[in-house]
Amino acid sequence: MQIIRRVSPPGGEADEGAEPDARFTFANERTFLAWSRTSLALVVAGLAIAQLLPPFPGVPWGRHLIGTPLILLGSAVAVISYLEWAANQGALRRGQPLRRSLLPRALALTITVITLGATALTPISAARTH
Amino acid sequence: MTGIADDIEDADPGLAQERTELAWHRTAISFAAVGAAMLKYHVTAGLLVLAVGGAVWRLSRLVRDRGTARASGRRLVVITVTIAGVSVTALAITLLGHGAGGLRP
Repeated sequence: MQIIRRVSPPGGEADEGAEPDARFTFANERTFLAWSRTSLALVVAGLAIAQLLPPFPGVPWGRHLIGTPLILLGSAVAVISYLEWAANQGALRRGQPLRRSLLPRALALTITVITLGATALTPISAARTH
Repeated sequence: MTGIADDIEDADPGLAQERTELAWHRTAISFAAVGAAMLKYHVTAGLLVLAVGGAVWRLSRLVRDRGTARASGRRLVVITVTIAGVSVTALAITLLGHGAGGLRP
């Protein structure tokens, strides 16, 4: 019992409230795992863009401008999804409503910015080579 | 997945447990895929991430053994830290690598 308490989520949630319905706990865990896969996909996409994409003529750092933010976004998603898992687990224990997740908006916003940057690279590259 | 079980399918914890185990399997496969992709650029890092995929697959068994997710906090920290490590490796390959893909000539 002591061991179980020690490995419980941080933030003192372990001693608060009651053990929630196992189904909710499992659903919370699956949400975390789904975000983990999303973050892995972002990391590998950033790596592939930096490595596989042919260099933009005139803009040698162009590929890294697209790939690096994707990798950073991937690690941010991994960390935030864990924090949200812990917060949700605490809310479930205390019977409180779950907070709205930050991740969908952050993901949409960052991907939009990266896409706009990638779009801007094409005319920049064309202007530099002419 | 807001944690509220409206679906009739969610009424059985057994199925919830099985779905969670399958989610762990998918995550393990994702790690293996990332490892396979990394093999092309950095063999050691690729093999390491492939091994992580195998370890994550083994972690999925704990879902069945424990039943409740009380002790899952540490497992999830492991996943988070591993992904952070994978992205640092990817950043290092991208920014410090030599030749075609790296920033350095």
